[in-house]
Amino acid sequence: MISIAALREGDELPPLELRPGLGQVIRFCALNWNFPEAFYDPEAARAQGMPGTIVPGPLKLGLIYTAIERWLDGGGWIRQVRAAHRRPDLTARPIVITGRVARVYEEHGRSRADLEIVVINEKGEPSVRGFAVVESR
Amino acid sequence: MPERSLLTDEVRAAIGRATDPIRVRLTPRVVARTMDVYLGHHEDVPAEGAEAPGFAIAGLETESGSLELMDLMPNTLLISNEWTFERPLIVGEEFEARTVLADISERFGGQFGYSLTVRTEVTFTDTTGAIAARGARTMMQYDAAGSRASEEAT
Repeated sequence: MISIAALREGDELPPLELRPGLGQVIRFCALNWNFPEAFYDPEAARAQGMPGTIVPGPLKLGLIYTAIERWLDGGGWIRQVRAAHRRPDLTARPIVITGRVARVYEEHGRSRADLEIVVINEKGEPSVRGFAVVESR
Repeated sequence: MPERSLLTDEVRAAIGRATDPIRVRLTPRVVARTMDVYLGHHEDVPAEGAEAPGFAIAGLETESGSLELMDLMPNTLLISNEWTFERPLIVGEEFEARTVLADISERFGGQFGYSLTVRTEVTFTDTTGAIAARGARTMMQYDAAGSRASEEAT
């Protein structure tokens, strides 16, 4: 379990490799009842200039959330998570969620930490730049 | 690229426009569905009264109604999205959800040519009147024909 008060600037989150597949993308589309073809139809994706179907950006925000929550392991909770989408990630291709502690501070009597998050695609390129704030319980 | 700004007074006047409040409830079923999306299973769904995983807000966002946004450009791209929590959400809680058009701005030039950036925000207010959580999404409207970086699009 992470102790937020014990974190230090520069501490790294363990990289988490994920491979969001078509089934996960379709479950996300079903949750939102919104089915853009580029998310599940390779031909439609190619017609939009993509090499294949892509992972919805909002799904990646939730994956970042789960990666942080897994790292916290009950030692805190997530007050904020943001994702700035830089390039598409292809369905069923590996992505790695990485992060580091940018700042540790006290607010309203609780320990907080700001996290810088980066999602890296299989070419080693950042596809998402993220930010999160976690707080002790 | 348009010859002049599409950010007219009429468009600017839409900033601040909001949906009617909608009552949403964080049911165990909503939580289970979001667990299926983000975890790949819905084992050990928290019971009513227990703390919900924060990503369950995604299941509330989809129930929160949406603004009819003006399509001023032919293509749309998600730039960023975020969730902010004032406190953990509790399974079974009811909220009043309200979505607002928070901002529209424009940019001339750059890799997407002329583009408009549209930010919408949804707030979830609990039964005490306190805001428990917020979601926000920033979309860019652009014309792919005038873009130098369509390969960058998500």
